[in-house]
Amino acid sequence: MTPIDPPAPNVVAGLERLARTELSLGARMAHVLLALAASALTIVVASLWLTEPSLPLRTSIAFALMTAIGLSWIAYSVWVLTARRVMFARQRVVAGRVAVTFCGVFSLGCVILGVTTDARGAWPACAMSLALLAIAIGVWRRAESAHAALLARRDALEQELARGAR
Amino acid sequence: MSHPDNPDESSRLADELLAIRCQLGEPDAFDALIARWHRPLWIYVRRMTGHDQEAEDLLQEIWLRVIRGIAKLRDGSRLRGWLFGIARRVLMDRLRRRYVAPPLDDLDAVDPAADAEAIDREADLAALDLALDTLPLAERDLLTLFYLRDLSLAELAETLDVPVGTVKSRLFRARNLLRAAIQERNDR
Repeated sequence: MTPIDPPAPNVVAGLERLARTELSLGARMAHVLLALAASALTIVVASLWLTEPSLPLRTSIAFALMTAIGLSWIAYSVWVLTARRVMFARQRVVAGRVAVTFCGVFSLGCVILGVTTDARGAWPACAMSLALLAIAIGVWRRAESAHAALLARRDALEQELARGAR
Repeated sequence: MSHPDNPDESSRLADELLAIRCQLGEPDAFDALIARWHRPLWIYVRRMTGHDQEAEDLLQEIWLRVIRGIAKLRDGSRLRGWLFGIARRVLMDRLRRRYVAPPLDDLDAVDPAADAEAIDREADLAALDLALDTLPLAERDLLTLFYLRDLSLAELAETLDVPVGTVKSRLFRARNLLRAAIQERNDR
C-alpha cells in the first residue's frame, strides 16, 4: 500500500485546541445558569399572569410574550447543553448541585413570600418552584449515580490493565 | 499497556478506559484520545479523499462530533468501531453534499497522480493501491476499513449499520471488483 504521511503537527495541535475550546467549563455553566434564571423568571411571570384578576388585554399579551421568551431561553440552553456543549459526568454532578441549590433558594423565597404577604401569585409560583426543585433533585441524583458507576468501572479497568502489565 | 493473554483484549480495555475517562470529563483523556486515534482516522480519511486539505477539514469535523458525542457512547469497548462510524458518516455527508444526485456505485474517484510516487517504489503494491483507488467509493471504503484499519466483521456491521451477512456479501463483491481492477491493470 502507498504509505500515507502522518498529519502535519499543526493539524494535531489544531485538534487539541479544538478539544480545549469544546471542553470549556465556563460556557457550560453559563448555559446552566441561563436555564435556571430563565426558569425562575418564567415561573414568576406565569404566576402573575395566571393569578392577577382583570388584567388589561395589553398586559396579558405582554405576560404571555414574556413567558414565551422565558420558555424559549430554557429550550435554547437545554439544546446547547445536550447537543453543542455536552456535559460530562463530573460537570453534570456540579450542574446538578448548582441547580438544586438555586431551586432550593428560589422555592424558599416563594414560600416566604406566600406566608408573609398576600400576593396572589406567590402560591402558584411556590408550587411550580417546588416542581422545578424536584426535577433538579432527580437530575442531580441521576448524575451522581452515573458518575459513581463510571468511576467504579474506571478503577476496575485500571486494575485489570495494571495486572496485565505486570 | 500490554496484556499477557490477549493483546486485542488489552487494546479493547485500553479503549474502554479512555472512553470512560472522557465521559467523566478528564481533560487529559481527550488529549490521550486524540494522540491514540488521530493517525488511524487521518489515514482512513486521507485515503478516502486523496487530498490533504480536505482530509484536514474532515478530521476537524470528525473530532468535533467525537467530543460532542462521546458522553452518549454506551459501550466504551466499542470505541474503535464508533470512531470509524463517525468518520464514515462525516465522509459520506461531505460526498453527499458534493455529488447531489448520483448513487455511491457511480462515484468512481480515480486519482492516479496521488499515487504516482508509489509506482516507483514497489510496483505490485502500487498497482494494488491504484486498483483500490479505481474502485467505487463504497467498495473502497469497505476494503479500507476491513484490511487497512483492521475492523472486524462485527465492527464493520455496526459502523455501516447493516447485518454481518450483508458485510460479508459486500466484501465478497468488493474483493472481486479489486481482483478485476488489478487484472485489468496487468493486462494493459
